[in-house]
Amino acid sequence: MYAEIRDKPSFANIHVKLQPGDQIIAEADAMACMSSSVEMDTQWSGGVVQGILKRVFGGESMFVNTFSTKTGGDLVLTQPFPGDMQCIDLNGNTMFLQPGAFVACEPGVKLGLGWAGIKMFIAREGLFRLKVSGTGRVWFGAYGGIFQKEIDGEFVVDSGHLVAYEPTIGIRIGLAGGIFSSFFSGEGLVTRVNGPGRIYMQSRSFDGLAAWTNAHLG
Amino acid sequence: MQYEFLSRPAMTAAKLTLDAGESITCEVGAMIAMSRGFTVETTSRNKGGSGGFVKGLKRMFAGENFFLNHFTATNHAQSLIIGPAMLGDIIHYPMTGGTLVVQGSSWLASSSGVEIDATFQGIGKALFSGEGIFWVKCSGTGDLMLNSFGAIHCVEVNGEYVVDSGHIVAFEDTLEFHLGKAGKSLIGSFLGGEGLVCKFSGQGKLYFQSHNPPSFGKLLGPKLKPH
Repeated sequence: MYAEIRDKPSFANIHVKLQPGDQIIAEADAMACMSSSVEMDTQWSGGVVQGILKRVFGGESMFVNTFSTKTGGDLVLTQPFPGDMQCIDLNGNTMFLQPGAFVACEPGVKLGLGWAGIKMFIAREGLFRLKVSGTGRVWFGAYGGIFQKEIDGEFVVDSGHLVAYEPTIGIRIGLAGGIFSSFFSGEGLVTRVNGPGRIYMQSRSFDGLAAWTNAHLG
Repeated sequence: MQYEFLSRPAMTAAKLTLDAGESITCEVGAMIAMSRGFTVETTSRNKGGSGGFVKGLKRMFAGENFFLNHFTATNHAQSLIIGPAMLGDIIHYPMTGGTLVVQGSSWLASSSGVEIDATFQGIGKALFSGEGIFWVKCSGTGDLMLNSFGAIHCVEVNGEYVVDSGHIVAFEDTLEFHLGKAGKSLIGSFLGGEGLVCKFSGQGKLYFQSHNPPSFGKLLGPKLKPH
């Protein structure tokens, strides 16, 4: 299956060319347009219970759409906000995605739900996180640019900027500095990640956009 | 008129260079900068054309402004820089006598040979397509500038093509569309977040935008403070 991320980095979207036998699974509402020869089927995201949990606690949708074709066709998948996308190839390994980051995957990829913890919920990162495992390509997106970093030791990421990370990464929520500087520096809560492992970050935060917009509403 | 795009594709602006006597009609608020000596008129009608009050009202329903701004160059090689309010790209579409139907807020500017009018696509489409009630119908000859939320791509439709509502920028009137369900079942289409989609048929060019303003709004809206 041919799939290319185009219009990087500000308006990334996936251009997919489906051949008979190909399938791609996408987040609800990700389809922008498609050939009339492409068929769309809607399923619960990882089963009924997981689907509901994802919606209520994970900030994800309950359903995913599977696209296939009998004769071949084009498909364009997108995300709701402007920003970049990243494609990773899973080969039996696992990756955690923050709520809202998932865009699409190949059928060999399993979409599971991982408990993120109360602390992550307090840090407004969601009570659950999406666990992608299996084999095949996974596409995820971000509001802003995406950059990756290999972590060895401890690294601090501002809350709302972590997009995806490997399961070997440990996560703690903490204050950015002391009590005073944490609340007056504008940094507040931060995510402390512990390696070894790879993390993906986004250059902007959607909550940051909301806060900025709120500050400028008349 | 000559044109050049600046800062593509995320924050595109169009730099238009006009000769003496040439004029361009722009969406209200589109002008970013211009050289000295442009004549600026604000009317509710096409430049030198018909219309007036009723056309202005129709344009308002099409998501455009009641008024239009006309910029006329009085000297050789005067330039005007225009851009839309939101992030996104701009494309140039050369009008050669055909008709282009433009989604309400995507019309940015057109040269004086292009007639712009609002067109009604039918009550069903108005209520359920997720697009505006009226569309802007452009005909005649000249230059047309369209803007988008996201990147713009063109599809040469020959037969049928499906576009999710909120992603249409413009289409040639040799195409027509009807509303249909995205998947095999109607319930599935709604649960799958796609709802009704626009199914195009015929032969012609279709322009779509990579991003969807209503989806962006649905995400940002709940985070905004009550007003």
